Amino acid sequence: MKAIRLSFFQMLKFVSKDKMLLAALLAPLLAGSAIRFGVPFTEGILTRVTALPAILSPYYGLFDIFFSSITPAMFCFIAAMVVLEERDDHVDRYLFVTGLGRNGYFVSRIGLPALAAFVVTAALLPVFRLAALSMWSIILLSLTGSLQGIIIALLIVALSSNKLEGMAITKLSSLMMLGAVTPYFVPAPVCFWFSFLPSFWVGMAVYESNLVYMLPSVLIAGFLIWALRRSLDKKQ
Amino acid sequence: MIQVSHLSFSYTKRPFIQDMTFSVGAGEIFGFLGPSGAGKSTLQKILLGMLLGYQGSAMVNGRECKNHGADFYESIGVDFEYSTMYEKLTAKENLQFFSSLYRRQDRAIPELLAAVGLEHDADKQVSDYSKGMKSRLNFVKALLHDPKLLFLDEPTSGLDPTSSRLMKDLILAEKRRGKTILLTTHNMQDAAELCDRVAFIVGGTIYALDSPHNLTLSRGAAQVTYTWLDHGEQTASCPMDKISEDSLLHRLIAENRLQSIHSSEPTLNDIFMEITGRTLV
Repeated sequence: MKAIRLSFFQMLKFVSKDKMLLAALLAPLLAGSAIRFGVPFTEGILTRVTALPAILSPYYGLFDIFFSSITPAMFCFIAAMVVLEERDDHVDRYLFVTGLGRNGYFVSRIGLPALAAFVVTAALLPVFRLAALSMWSIILLSLTGSLQGIIIALLIVALSSNKLEGMAITKLSSLMMLGAVTPYFVPAPVCFWFSFLPSFWVGMAVYESNLVYMLPSVLIAGFLIWALRRSLDKKQ
Repeated sequence: MIQVSHLSFSYTKRPFIQDMTFSVGAGEIFGFLGPSGAGKSTLQKILLGMLLGYQGSAMVNGRECKNHGADFYESIGVDFEYSTMYEKLTAKENLQFFSSLYRRQDRAIPELLAAVGLEHDADKQVSDYSKGMKSRLNFVKALLHDPKLLFLDEPTSGLDPTSSRLMKDLILAEKRRGKTILLTTHNMQDAAELCDRVAFIVGGTIYALDSPHNLTLSRGAAQVTYTWLDHGEQTASCPMDKISEDSLLHRLIAENRLQSIHSSEPTLNDIFMEITGRTLV
């Protein structure tokens, strides 16, 4: 545990020296402020102009899902960039054969950032949420968001060989979040074509106000994490 | 220290390492010699527990490599061929961080830096180091936790003669401290100078395994070559073990007519080519 903790602190030290990664840490606060204050304000203008009773407010739950995904996505993106930089310097392979070990390395580089993202999301979501969310909703949204963050980080690390490729994969893997949109806009049974995405079930849970739908999201995310980790082990 | 028995491994359907069996005793410097793509690095990865899908057995410190636990690396030090440092950190910061990952931190960082002549560059960023300095720093990084077993991958590769000499002296000093050292190289001179035993590897197979001395002796005797003047310089040679039968040499000695005489043993490189039919490049 000591090696994992010190390796995690080493990563924080590394991030503190990189202005781009440091700026990415602020993204959740900026996005949260934009959602919390910008969206209701826009809704007010739109409803006044169009004289419709509601335009954005039926989708407030969707905004909350996006917010719960942003912090983990950013934290795990930062972690993946650190892994790619360490891969460029061949440091990752060396860390595998130290007291840290391969598992310890991935725990310190992806597991702990995801855990931190879970805590931060659970703390910020009550502040920036738009819809009424129960405590369990907040916890489960933070959990599924963090699992999705791990998937994004593993996708970046598994599919890219340098930071530039990592940026491109980040954009592609962020599309995974779009699964949450489908229950809102795509009628059944077509929307179930996206059921392989963990975010689809999160969308279902919020749309249907039924937290049981979170279970398939967690299970699918768990399977994807396992498969990506196996693929990473084979790659190295 | 290391026991490998009927080890086979494959990245694809084609076998890459085939039925290898050997052992390395405590305190020994054991060299893997072979050209690029021979399987040396793969074998090293298996012994380091980085490749798990092998057949047969590979035991390090009494433990099967594919079933190693978290403390497996507490007694192993690794010096990869390439630099494995954080380029943006100083040498001292790098060593402090890597040292902190082990339970034991038996070797003092200032002493290690001094041993490789880097004590005055401890606070310099690694990105500003030369290749030779990085190699020396990489080497001492493997010693931070005073491991029993050292894996060295091409430790003198790309070094100038002075740095290479220094590196070899460091390796021999660690052997005197009782370490077992596994050396991967395609430099025959280094192998002959450093290794107690060497294994010739080509195509994932061990072709020969013995001490450099025995390998040299087992493949043809040394030659004696001599020159004398007789309407210009003349040259002749005979095997060392037939020297008493060379009447010309006897006569030239008796008449004090020899211009030069020297013996030459086949090099490890000659032996390697003879046994494997390959060069080391």
